[in-house]
Amino acid sequence: MPASSNRSTTTDAPPRTGRVRRLHLPQKLRNLELFLLLIACGINAASVVLVQLGALGRIDTTLVFLGAGLSALVLAMHVVLRVVAREADPFILPIATLLNGLGIAMIYRIDLANGESGWASASVRQTVWSALAIGCAIAVILIIRNHRVLFRYTYIAGFVGVALLLLPLVPGLGREVSGARVWIGVGSFATFQPGEIAKIALAVFFAGYLVRNRDSLSMVGKKFLGMRFPRLRDLGPILVVWALSMSVIIFQRDLGTALLYFGLFLVMLYLATGRLSWVLLGMSLFLGGALIASQTLDYVNGRFRNWLDALNPDVYGADGGSYQLVQGLFGLAKGGLLGTGLGQGRPEITPVPQSDYIIASLGEELGLAGVFAILALYLLLVARGFRIGFAGNDDFGKLLGVGLSFVIALQCFIVIGGVTRVIPLTGLTTPFLAAGGSSLVANWIIVALLLRLSDTVRNQPRLVV
Amino acid sequence: MSVSELTLLVLRLGFLLLLWLFIFGIVYALRSDLFGQRARKMQADVAAPAGAPAAFPSGAPVPSATQPPAASASAPTEQFTARPSPVSTAVDDKATSQNATRLVITSGPKAGTEFPLTGDSITIGRSGDSSLVIRDDYTSTHHARLMLWHDKWMIQDLDSTNGTFLDGNRLVVPTPVPLNTTVKIGATSFELRR
Repeated sequence: MPASSNRSTTTDAPPRTGRVRRLHLPQKLRNLELFLLLIACGINAASVVLVQLGALGRIDTTLVFLGAGLSALVLAMHVVLRVVAREADPFILPIATLLNGLGIAMIYRIDLANGESGWASASVRQTVWSALAIGCAIAVILIIRNHRVLFRYTYIAGFVGVALLLLPLVPGLGREVSGARVWIGVGSFATFQPGEIAKIALAVFFAGYLVRNRDSLSMVGKKFLGMRFPRLRDLGPILVVWALSMSVIIFQRDLGTALLYFGLFLVMLYLATGRLSWVLLGMSLFLGGALIASQTLDYVNGRFRNWLDALNPDVYGADGGSYQLVQGLFGLAKGGLLGTGLGQGRPEITPVPQSDYIIASLGEELGLAGVFAILALYLLLVARGFRIGFAGNDDFGKLLGVGLSFVIALQCFIVIGGVTRVIPLTGLTTPFLAAGGSSLVANWIIVALLLRLSDTVRNQPRLVV
Repeated sequence: MSVSELTLLVLRLGFLLLLWLFIFGIVYALRSDLFGQRARKMQADVAAPAGAPAAFPSGAPVPSATQPPAASASAPTEQFTARPSPVSTAVDDKATSQNATRLVITSGPKAGTEFPLTGDSITIGRSGDSSLVIRDDYTSTHHARLMLWHDKWMIQDLDSTNGTFLDGNRLVVPTPVPLNTTVKIGATSFELRR
């Protein structure tokens, strides 16, 4: 309602008859979001155009329709937010959109290099998965009107999380892709990584469980070395989660996923109790387990060798050796400070350049400046999540907000750290960027939950009389 | 190739620049979160640009005679003084985002408590999603709303059953709230104060 019609309300309205008309308040946050979102969509379109100019030398319009459809879907989500979550954080959606679009552009670029097009190409599939994921996010925003509803389903969420985690071990359903048994598939077509969804369920479970039980975990215990250590009988939960992540290492042969879940639990435990001793205890447990695994399990041992001795010609040439890792490093080195330019590098030389190694591909074509921009986007996204957790009044929302954003942060660290040889390489997806439907769906659901949290945080009572 | 090397170089650098501009745009929008809130401006600074005389309706009884100069400049009560208001507080300072800093409960079970005003609108009612939850028999679920509108704190009754009273008068239309004036909802009353 514009100001002029409001003036007529105040001057002409007959007293106390009919409904009082409401004042129009500008939705400042949503307008800011729309502005940033339009820029993000513009950058996404520009990146696809640059890829085409660089790789083909001309502009091709086939992908334009898909890209426009995606932008329309993101704008639809924005409109949904205007109605059901007016006070939600305005930065999360544009950042996620931009990361997703950059990922699609890079995957498209690798498709061009491999000469794939149509439905066989990873970029088209990624676009369709993105649409599906944004659809899921809209559904979550619409269905979950208050995050505290999730608190009721704490133990169901825990059960679902563990079940999803163990699903790939079911014979006939589980699929093994390049050594790791973390996929499920029906027939030959549909493959899905249920562990990605499990991380959301587990975050909900950990948050609910810790809110209910943190007193016994934080209050009692003996003081030793200036820290209060927990009683032996309170070690149950951490040992259970440790056993779970160790079984992921042993049976599913996936180091990264195990590290992700255990790290998530540790951080939420630290948040809930405020005790450093839990972190020390958990880290020594995990490092001990990982060390034992590296001695006894072949694939873990190989990962460590590739990491420590990557440039050794024997390791480089060996089957399952460091060829991929070193190629990624060469790509990053070729990119230099400003990159070769989109579509002008040769990222396709590295094996799986569109999923695990997408950050190396982006690093080659956008250079250090581009990689830092991407890392800054992640930093801002995670910082917003922490901020939402910090601003929350209820403990469940606090833990959930920080837990969900920490999952994104830790996943980035594990993957990008692995690709840049900071830590041993483990197969995880780079959130929003890497090709992979399950990861996209999971991360967009996280975005939806963070938006919902930020909306309820702003709307919660400041004073109850 | 139909595109020259130079064009590609310029486009490439332009793209990186665009990425960083986006990031700095977000950081700029977040500045109060990252570096803390800016200090509140002094009253004299903000009062100066506020009152443009042309904005007044020509026949409006501008209450400048009864006010000190600074106050009249800070309270251009345009449309609301165009008609004699039922609320006879025209001489008071209207609460703006600059001069009102807190909401103080003056009577009721929680008399004496207060909370700061941030500029976000404040919903008042019995429902749990209100900013100010008042649980008594006289309050409606969504009773009233306090919001900044053209930089003035306005109170609006949301069709409540028992009404919202500003200085003893039942609210009919959204009305600007003067400073230190009692707003009564059910058994609770509060004021906006400096």
